[in-house]
Amino acid sequence: MKLRVAGTTYTGAVVDLRTRNVGGRTIAASIRGQRRFPVVSCPEPPAVYAYVGHVHPSMGLRTRTALAAAARSRGYETPQDDAIADRRAQLAELEPPPPELPDPVDPVPESTIDGLQEAVATHRGRLTARQAVGADDEAARAALRDAATELSERETRRTAARETRELRRERARAYRDTLEKQRRLADELANLRRRARATLVDRCTETFAQAIEAVPGPVPDSPLDADPVPAALGVLRVARTPAPVVLETDRFRSPTAASDCLDAPVVRC
Amino acid sequence: MLLVVTYSRAARRDLRNVCRAHEDCVVRQFGRAALFSGTEFGAFQALRLHEKHRLDVQIEHVEPFEPTDVPKHVREAAKRYEAREEPATPYERFASGRDLPEPDQLRGVDL
Repeated sequence: MKLRVAGTTYTGAVVDLRTRNVGGRTIAASIRGQRRFPVVSCPEPPAVYAYVGHVHPSMGLRTRTALAAAARSRGYETPQDDAIADRRAQLAELEPPPPELPDPVDPVPESTIDGLQEAVATHRGRLTARQAVGADDEAARAALRDAATELSERETRRTAARETRELRRERARAYRDTLEKQRRLADELANLRRRARATLVDRCTETFAQAIEAVPGPVPDSPLDADPVPAALGVLRVARTPAPVVLETDRFRSPTAASDCLDAPVVRC
Repeated sequence: MLLVVTYSRAARRDLRNVCRAHEDCVVRQFGRAALFSGTEFGAFQALRLHEKHRLDVQIEHVEPFEPTDVPKHVREAAKRYEAREEPATPYERFASGRDLPEPDQLRGVDL
């Protein structure tokens, strides 16, 4: 690895930064590519580094999850892998943006239409009556025409409102169907990943127990329930560790001893 | 009444909060859905969720239902099918040869 801290460049498999004022968390973030400074050039860390790439006394650890990631770093596969890849691909394709809905339109009340229909009928009756007695029907004709026009406009608006409503419902339903599908796939994926993790943990439990015995310090009764620091060191011994591991623990005699024990490049902070 | 269904975690969380804070307008709460009272206040709470979460919140009008609201032949079919002696008989086979509507016949008719 090559590491540059405030003007000084460090190289080699073991770097001791205890005298430098730089936090382990910062270095670990640089190693994982989440920060640009300080500049660290090293091989890409596998995913397990997200759990155990920085070992320090106040860390927490989901040991099983980390152990499964360690198994993955060694290239272990599970019977669930194909299904996991399939669900992931399906989910990636299902990222629907919410649809554009037409603005809602106030519905035209049936009572309005009924009233207008009544008015048209009344005017028509009046017109017929005037025509029957041969009276002047110009005003009655105009009134009927106005009422009929008004009715037709309202009916058109009612139809438009209904269509808008239908369209809004259809689009919303299609979108929610997709959300449902997404939820189902995400559930399936979570289940598959749990099963895969269990498979990986089962496969590594023995190796992990031996690994945790090999790191300095008291041997825990139950490896999977060990405290975070010894558990993390055990996981590191199981994992493939091409990238530097950041250690803030006094468990080892020296950074070199740590590097030998973990078979990993080490940055001691 | 109003049926409020949520489709995202955030919407579900807010629905739970509304249900907790405004029990008076909640008729029933299910996992990620709830039945609000058919009042303006119920609508107000439902619309608040909709304003915040948009299409992740679905609101439907729900009407009370009584069996007598559906035609007699449907009720009769349900009653006789549930009283069948062979539990494994699918409805389609049960209906044929009896004086009962076929499933497709039922499917095609709106209530």
